[in-house]
Amino acid sequence: MRRMLFVVCVWALATSTVQGQSAPATEQTPPINALLERIEKLEKRVEELEGRQAPQRVASPADPRLTPPPSGPTPASSAAEQPRKTQGHVEHAQSPRVDTTYPSLQFRGFADMNFSVTDQKGSVSGFNLGQFVLHLASPLSKKVSYFGEISFSARPTGYALEVERSVIRYDYNDYFKLSFGRYHTPINYWNTAFHHGLWLQTTISRPEMIQFGGILLPTHFIGVLAEGNIPSGGLGLGYNAGLGNGRASLISRAGDAGDANNNRAWVLNLFARPPRLYGLQVGGSIYGDKHSPETGPNARELITSGHIVWAKENPEFLAESANVRHREIPTGRVVNSQAYYLQVAYRLPWLEKRWKPYYRFEHIHVPDSDPVFRGPNAVANLVGSTVGLRYDISDFATFKGEYRNIRRRAGDPRVNGLFVQTSFTF
Amino acid sequence: MKAPGRYRVAALLILCWLCLLSFSRLAAQTSRGSDIAVVVHPDTPLSNLSLSEVRRFFLGERQYWTAKFPVTLLIRAPTARERHVVLKVIYQMSEAQFNQYWIAKVIRAEAASPPKIVYSNDTANELVTAIPGAIAFMDARDVRPGLKVLRVDGLLPGDPNYPLR
Repeated sequence: MRRMLFVVCVWALATSTVQGQSAPATEQTPPINALLERIEKLEKRVEELEGRQAPQRVASPADPRLTPPPSGPTPASSAAEQPRKTQGHVEHAQSPRVDTTYPSLQFRGFADMNFSVTDQKGSVSGFNLGQFVLHLASPLSKKVSYFGEISFSARPTGYALEVERSVIRYDYNDYFKLSFGRYHTPINYWNTAFHHGLWLQTTISRPEMIQFGGILLPTHFIGVLAEGNIPSGGLGLGYNAGLGNGRASLISRAGDAGDANNNRAWVLNLFARPPRLYGLQVGGSIYGDKHSPETGPNARELITSGHIVWAKENPEFLAESANVRHREIPTGRVVNSQAYYLQVAYRLPWLEKRWKPYYRFEHIHVPDSDPVFRGPNAVANLVGSTVGLRYDISDFATFKGEYRNIRRRAGDPRVNGLFVQTSFTF
Repeated sequence: MKAPGRYRVAALLILCWLCLLSFSRLAAQTSRGSDIAVVVHPDTPLSNLSLSEVRRFFLGERQYWTAKFPVTLLIRAPTARERHVVLKVIYQMSEAQFNQYWIAKVIRAEAASPPKIVYSNDTANELVTAIPGAIAFMDARDVRPGLKVLRVDGLLPGDPNYPLR
């Protein structure tokens, strides 16, 4: 018993010692508070000085300091710029700040560099420069905004410049936003989630079913699009509804310079992001068009697709499928083609959470009798797996390494490939 | 009472005292981090939001209070406690994920700009006062009179089970 009392006494002594050691920290509290007060005073002083500089900045809009930062977080001064413009009157004296002028253009760039080697006959291994992409976002007024995307792609004879997106949008409220321009078709999740920002997507490449320049699904759409939320309580519903030019007579292209016929394409996309299941998105789209190829019969096209996505990274899960129905107009013959992919990834909790292994399985099935996907527009009956690892070098740059095993046609040998990419935003 | 019994009682009393001391210290440490208030411009037509509605506003999925009343998001700069709580409870993201989320949001044309960064609660107070439609998070002790503090799930800062702390 005495031993127990001795132990308790030692514990009490130890506790008091610890208390004694932590005492100075408590004693230091007043100086820390004083320092915090000084910091706040200095912050106010900086704000005042920034406010005094404001008129000079307004006077010279060409001043590079006025260039708003890209879509990364903006400094407080930008926030303070808002009141003047949004209220339409001079800001009160408490925060004399820089006035905002519309348009207020912000840039964001994406680029990537690749290395690939495959065992496909005739293929050449080596490096290639990926796309150099510029995103533009510019509020034109409180409710009108412009969004653009331009890509430069390396070609053997130079660089191909493409206006990927060019959209002007008017926001009435959360439930109705109307825009005009060239879009990535809201026909599935991937096409409108990652656009040309390879750094944003987990893998090196897009799934085959929604490759840019591919022909299974129309990646671009030119016309008018309405979008917004649907009052739906806990379902978190949203929609996109569009009318515009569909595919051009060259099926991989959109009708930028005019439609291939007098029949407009239309698209309707519905999705749910239930607030209680934060991270989940479930949705589906339907797209209709008349296809008028340069050679061959016209055909009606009806594409239905669905997706389910868990957008968090532990784990990340994406699954999409699409059915492309073609009805040959002269004969009425109907042919359906299908495609889907499943992708899983997991951001590892160790090593500063910078590593993210992933796997994707994809499949495309196109019958030989399809009236559109044949001849020069043939789509491969693809079965493939991709396994890879993403390493985030920094918050804005990444290395990705992938192994792919793909068979493009029944009976063809499987092709193995190793792909490495560094992609980043700036 | 026999001597061993007295020792036992004494030891138990000391143990109880030590436990109480530990708990009181822990409680004192917890109370130092005060609740984070959701603060809006006084003209904002709402006074109570569920946590998931607050999340929808800060995710940029709701951008208008009413058709003529756009939302302006204000968020503290990295390292501020308010930001830490908001990223943990509202966004459920790390700093890197938060940056990536807003870059993606802007390039998807779903938002014209990310939340505005403010470097102090004083600035946040000024901006929320000045910008109709502004919404910010700040330490409940720093909220200036005249601003509207939103209830979250019907609770105000300081209420038991208040979610933002």
